[in-house]
Amino acid sequence: MAEVTLEAQPVPPWAVKSIEEIAAADIIIGILADLSQNEMAQVCTDLGTLTGNPRIVVLQKHPTASAAQVGDSEPKVQPEGASSENSSASLWVVPWNLQEPEMPSPLATFATACSSLFAAGEKLGVRGCCVVVSNLEYAPPKWVCRLAEPLLDNSFDFVAPRYAVRKFEGLLNNSIIARLTRSLYGRRLQSPMGPDFGVSLSLVQDLSNGNSRNRDGIDGGNLLASLAPRTACENLRVCQTYLGARRNPPADSAAVSSLLSQVLGPVFSNMETNAACWQRVRNSTPVRTLNQTQAIPQQPRTVEVGHSVNSFQQGVRDLQDIWGLVLPPATLLELRKLSRAAAEQHHFPDELWVRIIYDFALAHRLRAINREHLLHSFTPLYLGWLASYARQVEGAGPAAVEERFERLAGVYEAEKPYLVSRWRWPDRFNP
Amino acid sequence: MWQQVRQALNQSTTDFITRLARLLPGFVALAIALVISLVAAWIIAAIVRRLLIGIRFDSRLERWGASSLAEWSPRRSPALLVSAMVACAIVVTGLLIGVAAFNSEITSVFVRSVFAYVPNIVGAIIVLFVGAIVARFVARSVLIGAVNLNLGYARLLSMGAKWLVIVLTVAMALVHLKIAAGIVELAFGILFGGIVFALALAVGLGSKELVTRSLARDTKKPPVEVLEEPFRHL
Repeated sequence: MAEVTLEAQPVPPWAVKSIEEIAAADIIIGILADLSQNEMAQVCTDLGTLTGNPRIVVLQKHPTASAAQVGDSEPKVQPEGASSENSSASLWVVPWNLQEPEMPSPLATFATACSSLFAAGEKLGVRGCCVVVSNLEYAPPKWVCRLAEPLLDNSFDFVAPRYAVRKFEGLLNNSIIARLTRSLYGRRLQSPMGPDFGVSLSLVQDLSNGNSRNRDGIDGGNLLASLAPRTACENLRVCQTYLGARRNPPADSAAVSSLLSQVLGPVFSNMETNAACWQRVRNSTPVRTLNQTQAIPQQPRTVEVGHSVNSFQQGVRDLQDIWGLVLPPATLLELRKLSRAAAEQHHFPDELWVRIIYDFALAHRLRAINREHLLHSFTPLYLGWLASYARQVEGAGPAAVEERFERLAGVYEAEKPYLVSRWRWPDRFNP
Repeated sequence: MWQQVRQALNQSTTDFITRLARLLPGFVALAIALVISLVAAWIIAAIVRRLLIGIRFDSRLERWGASSLAEWSPRRSPALLVSAMVACAIVVTGLLIGVAAFNSEITSVFVRSVFAYVPNIVGAIIVLFVGAIVARFVARSVLIGAVNLNLGYARLLSMGAKWLVIVLTVAMALVHLKIAAGIVELAFGILFGGIVFALALAVGLGSKELVTRSLARDTKKPPVEVLEEPFRHL
């Protein structure tokens, strides 16, 4: 079965000179987030406090510089404000040119950035690579060190992020990705797909040494989706660390469909690749959490779910023929009953939701219909579940929201035998 | 005189029997060719049927979007339809070989023209098959896209797109078969243009109410920036 691999990329030409001058490092950190000068200075100061005299290279996104300008700039040796007597680390900041106009999507840009980061890391012989993508708020002190330290200690292979819980944020992750990863691979990670994470060089090399390319191609979605499954299946050391709250950009409701396609496609492809592994997993276990989550102020919001319910109802009305190729008749009947309820009484049972996820994963594997059609047709179902969830948690606090997701995770695990039996014997029931 | 009459009768009878005798081998050859082709058709059709059932031809065809073929097939099985078509082709070939055995110029020309037309038929069938698959793909793409955009007339758009592709495909197949090519091109132009014009009128004028209602639904919604957009998916 094809696996997700990283193609070994050459170090970009504009970075070759800087990398050669540095020669060797203990850790490399790629910062894709738009950090202000003060924030960047704080990051450098925090990194300077790491113990053990590590040599740290920071690749900082330099969006306005042309490649020529970036190639000509000298790497900074010490950030402003860091005292060379007090800091135990050696720090280089290398501008990182990521302007790739021909990239089709942000995920493609992310994949290219990671490839160049890992190539530079391998050349420098680092112990680990960190990627910082998110703009964080309520970040704990020295949050960047929380990603780097477990790799410098050689204690872990994959450092996953843990963010503050906000009830209407990270919904795709909370409703599907994290719960599915927990059910399939037995690892209770809050954010298995990052996007901020740290990996050991051995894991990077493991990804690079795969035998063949994933037939869906290497892109950012594939990379993020394969990290947690790969570490679980190969029994690598995983931990998660609290980084604060992500500052998410506003969601464009029209782009939900393409977002689902970009995220769920690689997740389902990984299920196919790692089928032999996840079918053996029986229960999930907690993952070592290095830092405690902190409570943050919640933003009170009034939620209007009418639009989502309308989308769901229209999907049930117009997409029956397509869903009929994917979902069993009992599920279709339940969806029809659900669509007849008013918006105020809209309730999407978790058991139904989980079975639908599993059925779509199976249909993705069997190519029951064109995969793009399959993933795009999932949108009304996702919006239907969102509407139901929003009604349930409207007045709930963070603890209640966590409990809500914990219940959902339990249903994912309880329904796993359904997935396993349908996966092994798809012909026993064929819509 | 009676002797001459007897002679003329004997002569015509002899000529007729001679001509009949010349045709007899042709008839025998035709009969033998038909029998052999019937037997070969039965055997090959059975092999083709088993092969297609073995590779799950019916379900694969449905997945590729050609499920409408099942409606025209005996016992709703495209595999049976294909095997029947293979059998018919073999029998027709045997018939043509038998007819060619008469060794007459007219029959030879007829057989040659039939064989020369076979590639056109094959090409037209391929065009129709591919067109049906493309029509189904386009219809699904338009339907899913329109539903995700919350367009109330998603099914209408999808059906319109599907029939546009089908009309185009049928016109291409008829031109390939060289059946009244000029009339087909003209009819296609009128029909295709008419469908596009009708769709444009339906969206612009004919379904003004539908569009008005659809737009009114959008404008009546409260500002989504504040209320609807608390959802962050990633």
